[in-house]
Amino acid sequence: MGGDAFTFELFGLTFNATNVLSGLLVCLLTFFILFGLSRHLQMKPTGGQNVIEWLVEFTNGIVRSQMPAEQVGNYSFLAFVLFVFLFIANQLGLILQVGWNGHELIKSPTADPVVTLTFSLCVITLTHFAGISQKGFKAYFKEYLTPSVLMLPINLVEEFANFLTLGLRIFGNIFAGEMLLKLLAQLAFSHGLPTMIVSLPMEMIWQGFSVFIGSIQAYVFVTLTTVYISRKVTAE
Amino acid sequence: MLVIAESNSLYVGDMLFYLISFILTALLVWHYVWKPVTGMMEKRAKTVAQDIDSAKQARMEATELAAKRKAQLEGSQAEAAQIVDQAKKSAQTQGDQIVAAAQADAQNLKEQAQRDAKQAREDALRGAKDDVANLSIEIASKLIQKQLNADDQKALIDSYIEGLVKHES
Repeated sequence: MGGDAFTFELFGLTFNATNVLSGLLVCLLTFFILFGLSRHLQMKPTGGQNVIEWLVEFTNGIVRSQMPAEQVGNYSFLAFVLFVFLFIANQLGLILQVGWNGHELIKSPTADPVVTLTFSLCVITLTHFAGISQKGFKAYFKEYLTPSVLMLPINLVEEFANFLTLGLRIFGNIFAGEMLLKLLAQLAFSHGLPTMIVSLPMEMIWQGFSVFIGSIQAYVFVTLTTVYISRKVTAE
Repeated sequence: MLVIAESNSLYVGDMLFYLISFILTALLVWHYVWKPVTGMMEKRAKTVAQDIDSAKQARMEATELAAKRKAQLEGSQAEAAQIVDQAKKSAQTQGDQIVAAAQADAQNLKEQAQRDAKQAREDALRGAKDDVANLSIEIASKLIQKQLNADDQKALIDSYIEGLVKHES
């Protein structure tokens, strides 16, 4: 458990092995959990189908509450897969933390700002593309000048702030959660049995709370994504 | 221990890796999960809507049919009443006819019997008259015979026998 991240260079790019491994694991988990839930689809849903249909309804609900009805179909899949991916990524570090040879191998990918900022950058880029394709260049750029030309710097800063806050919010929550778990674990092993007894319930409570935080953060990330997209694609 | 403290360079490789792997996962999920599940949900929604529509249709048809049946029932009741009425009427007429015929028959029979009785009485009276006449004649002849002599008697017997012969032929 714990340890240093180790990096390696490939094609002139810097990779972090921890992130690559964890990310791969999250991708596989996302796909296979969803794949497993969606087998034997029936008219009358049973078991896993109920779960996945509830999940689809849930993310569709997020999109529907933010966007005009004609846009919901375009972004409901993004909301769905983003929510499931981030949810699993958030919970991964709570369930599984693998270290080997002094290096951290598997933890929550979303506890790394590079990963979360990658996602927020992609999302913000997507909102701009969506805005341009929906309204055309002219109307898109005009948005930055409303209500007056003086608002231009503020609007630009807002876009950048959106990008930063979206990524750093989820990173901060998940990172803090994992950090506290690690500190509690260190405390447990620091002075033998007494500290272990004290920190065990705290660890359990914080673990449960982190599960809650991870779910909330995945929900918030998806909600804000749809908010940003809907702001770009609808005329204000 | 702090991962962020370790990184003195930006992991551009990680960013690309996450971008690509997320897109790949999304494509797989789209193809193997999203499309079948939403397709099934849409299909179900359509089926439910159809069921509701067809149920409404069926109920309307049932109501129509019930009204039709009720009307038919009322019609048949009226018809039955009419038939019974007619039967009663025809039975009444038939009964009257039978009674009239029986009365006529009885009258005829009575008249016939009266006529027969009258005839019989007349016949009987006539026969009695003849008998009385014959008897009186015989008595008279017997009375007369006593005063007759033999010749006369002979003549009388002869005449009598002659009469008998005549009567027999």
